[in-house]
Order: sequence, then C-alpha cells, then structure tokens
Amino acid sequence: MKKLLNRRFLILAAVLIAVVVVAGVSAQDSLIRYASYNSDEGPRGQDEAMVARWNEANPDQPVEHSTTDHEAFKQAIRTYLVADPAPDVLTWFAGNRMAFFVDRGLASDLSPLYEREGWYDSYAPGFVALATAGEGQYFVPTSYYWWAMYFRKSIMEANGLTAPATWDELLATCDTLNAAGIIPITIGTRAPWTAAAWFDFLNMRINGPEFHINLMLLKESYTDERVVAVFDHWRQLYEHNCFIPDSAAYEWQEALDFMNRGEAAMYLMGDFIRDSVPDEIESDLDFEMFPVINPDMPIGIDAPTDGFFMSAASGNVEGAYDFLAFIGSAEEQQFAADNLGRLPTRLDVDTSGFTEAQQKGIGLVQSADYVAQFYDRDTTPAMAEAGLNAFAEFISDPMNADVMGLLESLEADRVRIAAEQAGE
Amino acid sequence: MTTISAAQRAAQGEGRMRINVTPYLFLLVPLAVYFVWIIFPTLFSIYLSFTNWDGISPIPAPNALSLDNYNRLFTDRDFGMSFGNNVKWMIVFLTVPTTVGLGLAMIFNTDIRGARWFKISFYAPLILSFVVIGTIWAWIYEPRAGLLNSIIVGISELLASIFPFVTPLERGPGWLADRNLALWSIMGAAVWRQCGYVMILYLAGLKNLDPSLIEAARVDGANGWQLFRRVIFPLLGPITTVVIVVSVIDSLRAFDLVQVMTRGGPGGASNVLANFMYIEAFNNYSFGYGASIAVVLLGLSLFIVVPYLYRTVKTELEY
Repeated sequence: MKKLLNRRFLILAAVLIAVVVVAGVSAQDSLIRYASYNSDEGPRGQDEAMVARWNEANPDQPVEHSTTDHEAFKQAIRTYLVADPAPDVLTWFAGNRMAFFVDRGLASDLSPLYEREGWYDSYAPGFVALATAGEGQYFVPTSYYWWAMYFRKSIMEANGLTAPATWDELLATCDTLNAAGIIPITIGTRAPWTAAAWFDFLNMRINGPEFHINLMLLKESYTDERVVAVFDHWRQLYEHNCFIPDSAAYEWQEALDFMNRGEAAMYLMGDFIRDSVPDEIESDLDFEMFPVINPDMPIGIDAPTDGFFMSAASGNVEGAYDFLAFIGSAEEQQFAADNLGRLPTRLDVDTSGFTEAQQKGIGLVQSADYVAQFYDRDTTPAMAEAGLNAFAEFISDPMNADVMGLLESLEADRVRIAAEQAGE
Repeated sequence: MTTISAAQRAAQGEGRMRINVTPYLFLLVPLAVYFVWIIFPTLFSIYLSFTNWDGISPIPAPNALSLDNYNRLFTDRDFGMSFGNNVKWMIVFLTVPTTVGLGLAMIFNTDIRGARWFKISFYAPLILSFVVIGTIWAWIYEPRAGLLNSIIVGISELLASIFPFVTPLERGPGWLADRNLALWSIMGAAVWRQCGYVMILYLAGLKNLDPSLIEAARVDGANGWQLFRRVIFPLLGPITTVVIVVSVIDSLRAFDLVQVMTRGGPGGASNVLANFMYIEAFNNYSFGYGASIAVVLLGLSLFIVVPYLYRTVKTELEY
C-alpha cells in the first residue's frame, strides 16, 4: 500500500515537473504575456474576443491573457513591471499615469513600431502627441470616451425641462425637480473619483481649461481664489439640494440605480455609464455638454484615452510588437467601437455605422476647445489621492466644510509633491 | 533525598548538556525562517522609512536617508485623524466587547436552556472573513433601503400613527456616509464580531476553573457578586491578560473592515493607521512614507503590549 502510494506520488511529481519544464521552455520561445485591467463584463468580453482572434490567426505565438480587477490592477502593475518575466503588453491610461512609468524607464519606446505600421499618418495627431514623451512614443492609444451630463429624457420632459445649458438653468432645474419629488442629480462617492468630475468641469467652466491643466501640472496654487470660486459654485448646488443625500454610501453603479428606477434625473458620468444601464432604459438616456458658467471661457471636456504599452523588460519584443500592431489596427478599433461604443483614435475607422450616441459624443469632443483626460490622470498619483480625499471631505458636509483649510492642506501637498518631482 | 549518588548526578548533568544543545539545533531552521521573514523585513521597513522610495526605482542608498517622512507625519492632518481613530478604536475595544464577552460567558456557562445554541450563535461571526462582515454591514447601513434605516423609519412611522404629535422620519442617518458616524458604524461591525471572540476565551477559562474553590466560597457564604468579584474574576486573570492583549492588537491592526466599508472615507473621517499606510504605500507610490507610518504603528504596539506582557509573564512565573 505504502509502496503503491509512493509510486503514484513519484509519477505525479514527474508529470508535474515535465509540465512545468515544457511550459517554461515553450514560454521562452514565443509566448506573449498580456496583462489586462478589463474586468468589467462588457470590456472583458471584448478583450477576450480580441485575444481569441489573435490566437486563432497566430497559433505559433499565442497570447497568454491574464485579467486583474480594474482597481487592483492599478496597484499591482508596479510589481508586474519589475517582475521577471514582466508582461510584454499591458493595458493602461494616457496622461500622467503613463508618464509615471515612462519617467522611470519601465516602458519601451514604440517609435519603431509607429514607423513600421505607419501610425504617424493613420492616428489622429492629437493622440500621437498624447503618446509622445521626449522623442519617442510610449503608448498606443486605442480608444477614448467622453464625460457629459447624462439624463433621463422622460423625467425631464414630464417636468417641462430640457438639459440645462447654463449655470442658472442648472440651479433652476434642480429646484423644479426637487419640487416634483425627484432627486435632481445622483452621484456615488464611496470611491470618490466621481466627485473629481465635478471639480474638473466646474474648474474648466469657471476658470478655463488652461488654468485647470496648469493646476493639474502643479503649476498653479490650490489656494488661488479661482479654486475657491469652484467650491463656492459647488456649494450652491448643495444649497439647491441638487445631489442625492448620503452619496458616500454608494458606489457609482449603486447610485445609478436611482436613475434606473426613475428616482433621479441626471448623472455626470463617462460614457461607460451605458455599459451599466438596462437596455429598456438606455433608449431613455441622453446626454449634453456640461453647462456653461463663464461664457468668456473656452470649452473644455474630459475625454479619457485608454490604450496599451509595452514593458521595458519585455522578453519577447518581436511578439509584443506584432500583438500591439494587431491591437492598434483599424479592424480591432472597429470591433471595439461597434461592441462597446468607445471612440476610435485612428483616422481610417469607418464611423458611418456608429450609433446616434456615438456620433453625438464625437461631436461633443470635436466641438470642445480643449480635451482633458480626467483629474486622476492629468495630475500625479499622490496629488490625485490628496485631491479626491479633499473633495470627499467637502461633499460629506458641504455647508460647514472648512474650504480654506482643505485648500491649504492641498496646497501643502502640491508644494511637497512638486518638490519631490523636481528632485527626481 | 541526600542519598543521590555521584553517578546519578553525573547522568543528570550529562542529560542536561545534551538537552542544552539539541533544542537549539532544532530551533536553527525556524530561527532562520523567523529572521528572513520577520526580523529582516521589520528592520528593512525601518530603513525604508528614512527614504523616499517609490516602490519602483532602485532603493535609495544609505547616504540619501532623511527624517523628512517623520517631519511630514507630524504636520499631516490625515495622520492625526488616523491616529485619533485608532485610539478611539482601542478604547472601545478595551471596554465594550470585553465586558459584553465576559457577561455572555458568565451567562452561557450556566445550564440555561439553549446555552449551546446561543454560544454557537455568538461565535458564528468569527468564521466569517472580515471582508464578508464588512460587506454584510455595509448593506445593513445602506441609507435608503438598508436594514437599520428601514427599522428606524418604520418605527418612526408606527409612532406617528399612534401619537399625532410625532412626525415620521423621511430618512434615517447616513451611517457610513456621515463623517461623524462612519467610524462608529464600522466599529459596530467590529464589536459584533469581537464579542463572540472574547466570550469563547472566557468560556474556556471558566471551564478550567477549579470547582472546589467556588464550592468553598459558596460554603463560606459568598453571594453571587462576591463570588464573581473575589473568586472567579481573579482566577480568570491570565485569560483577561490574553483578552486585553488581543484587543489592543486587534484595534491597532484594524484595516480590513475600514478598507471594505469606507476605504477611510468620507474624506479620511474613518481612516485608521493601517489603511492610511496602505493607501500611501500602494496607492500613492510613497513606500518611504508608508514605511514611516508602519514604524509608528509598530512603536505604538510595542509601547502598549510589551510592558503588559513583561509584567504578566513575570507574575505568572512566580506561581
């Protein structure tokens, strides 16, 4: 009995070792490691279909696909990048989040790939610029989406309202909806990045995109009276009871339920909101540009760009180039646009079959004078965390919040973070 | 007794010699593991706390050390709030679950009907992971449709239907979304779990009490309170030590529930040191600053636990 067990155990161990060795050897050959944050249902399906298409066409150099929860990925990626072997291709965000890795030499210069694939001509110049750091291109921007004021058409119509186009109209809309017993605007701030959208748009509408982006780049002061004005306007919205109470109790998807159930009318959100809206309500969902506050200011919009990059430690440069070329092709961007409604970054993607919402979104972005990424992508990670915390503190008690104290604390953070950056 | 031969003594001596060496040989491997996985990382964290390491770049050399992180700690509001919240947490943990747990143990140590069932019910939360507990309680605290507010609003409506001068509540408190309630709400969930834990510890202690001592006290005419105060509670001394140490450690390492239920929000109102450290190190890419928070947490734990352990071990050895 004991002997049998031993023999069985030995065979099992031998098989296991053989599997590991074989896998290891073949992995060294041609495997392309792809690490992805597309964990939400819709994007995940699209992601898996993309890898399946590649693996079918390229059985000789298969992609090993691993998906990590979206929020966890943002933290785990740093260990991925210094691991051996590092993933060859990774999903990531344009802007400061990308610059962080480029500065530390963890991303590969992709200019040979851009050259080889002719991307300097086939990608919109603004997106090539977004991928550029110094001389090289380090990012493949494949899609973007817009932020806007989403609303339920039926609720607005039932109360004789249209989407507010100015600040006064926004406040009046809140008053009308409140009188009708409807929550004017829903928001879930348990994860406080949703509040940053309000800061971004208020700041761009009151002070203009130029001031906003300089603030993001830590070149303007948080105690500037222009930032104080942003909080004054923000507080007016609470004076008019525009927002859902206890917003910090809800994730953004949970707050969306109030809108799905018809209890709330509006939501300032990115277009991924439509991934989480039931089909029967999606037809009742419309969006407009965030209202104008100071008509003299240029119009800015948040339109975050997503994409891919190649780790500097990639052990399979050839494979990674080929896979990135595939991901960045017109065909794949077309698939992503058709399946998820994201907007393509290439100039040669056929947009004639796009939905009405997509066409409207493209118009929104194109009519804007300035395209920002988003608070936590435009500024540095440490500043983003401090800012989001301050916004959360403000909206947890907007009537009594010590705005000046919050801003002084943010200003201290900004000075310290800017100094740390300069010292690197 | 005085007739022990020299040979016997020698044999004893030899035995002692052997015993002196062998345990250390056996200990060699665990000690090596202990050094590699406990001592070294602790010392390394202390080293990191003097650097500005971002978790990616090469680890700064010893000539780049500075006290910047510690200077920043003293002016950082978030640190102050987290520290204060840990202190509140510890005060609650040292009073509420300890008292309730001891009370439960005293009640269920008797032969009342269904004692076993009650014990299991109170112990049950311990088999759940903190993440599950946090998720359950987050739903209980949900402001609109959560269990707690449904009950509060329901009662207010009931009262309003009976007494005309009562106006029913439109909605209950925001709990986790309310700056002033968030920390206490999380602690509610933590205490719920901790009570069962303390109860089990005390129940184990009560089972091991010498019944003859209690009988003796009864024969001497002690009433219930005197019996508890003068006999049972002193005899439970070693258990009380364990409970206090466990409570202090559990309150200092509080992290899971905060991370799951509020992530320290709204705006840092329910943050604790462990969560603050985690966010700084893993979210803000400031491993150096995170390490300095960890060092403060370590110092705090040692400051509280070591004197207590030292005193108890000493007194226990005197028995």
